[in-house]
Amino acid sequence: MALDFTRLTMPASLDSLQPLTAFVLAGADRVGLAQSERDKLELVLEELLVNVARYAYQPDSGDVEVAYAADGTGELVVEISDNGRAFNILEAPAPDLSAGLVDRPIGGLGLLLVRSLAGSVAYRREQDRNRVSFRFPGPQSPGT
Amino acid sequence: MKIEPTQLEKAVLLKVSGRMDAENAHEFEDACDQWINQGARHLIAELDGLQYVSSMGLRSFLAVAQKLQSNSGSLILCGLQGLPRQVFEMTRLIGVFPVYESAQQAIAKL
Repeated sequence: MALDFTRLTMPASLDSLQPLTAFVLAGADRVGLAQSERDKLELVLEELLVNVARYAYQPDSGDVEVAYAADGTGELVVEISDNGRAFNILEAPAPDLSAGLVDRPIGGLGLLLVRSLAGSVAYRREQDRNRVSFRFPGPQSPGT
Repeated sequence: MKIEPTQLEKAVLLKVSGRMDAENAHEFEDACDQWINQGARHLIAELDGLQYVSSMGLRSFLAVAQKLQSNSGSLILCGLQGLPRQVFEMTRLIGVFPVYESAQQAIAKL
């Protein structure tokens, strides 16, 4: 059965971060996501939306769409899409986590967090749009 | 996010609470820069009240620590817990900063 998505489109900018996040968290509350998973969802949304705001359309501007659906098993499916330049988050190079403080690269940590915290992270380029989807609850991390 | 500084004998203690995200992470870096410019070599960030940190926050911690290290100083973290602690562990930053359970332990090591 096709999922019934609830959608919101806003300009891809940092000003949209808060309302878009609140929009998806309302969906999280509807499926009864646990508080600890809700916090992780918020972090994943920030990382992905900041990425779109900063890089997808630069130096121009454009929109970002956020959509969510309950899949009927208590999981929330989220999809973030934009029609900026193609960027497969799953193929972004992983940062060097073994480097010491001085050589530690400052970028790349956000997508690492996305891939660690969200479940079933997927990317597809479709009709000139980047579509990143993921699920919550995410994988159980050790030590939690 | 709230930042409450206390000047100690050998360091400045910054009690950071609330959320550190894309919108406000620069405030932490700005606060640290002020102390660095006043000659502080060691900064201790007390983080038991930190509820949320994103990669923009991590970026600020790294930038501050790199500045201090270039001046033979350090950024010391203590009290990390909950999701912020997981975030530091997942990115393996926990091994890059000196990390203590409490501010008292951090101060004792200086």
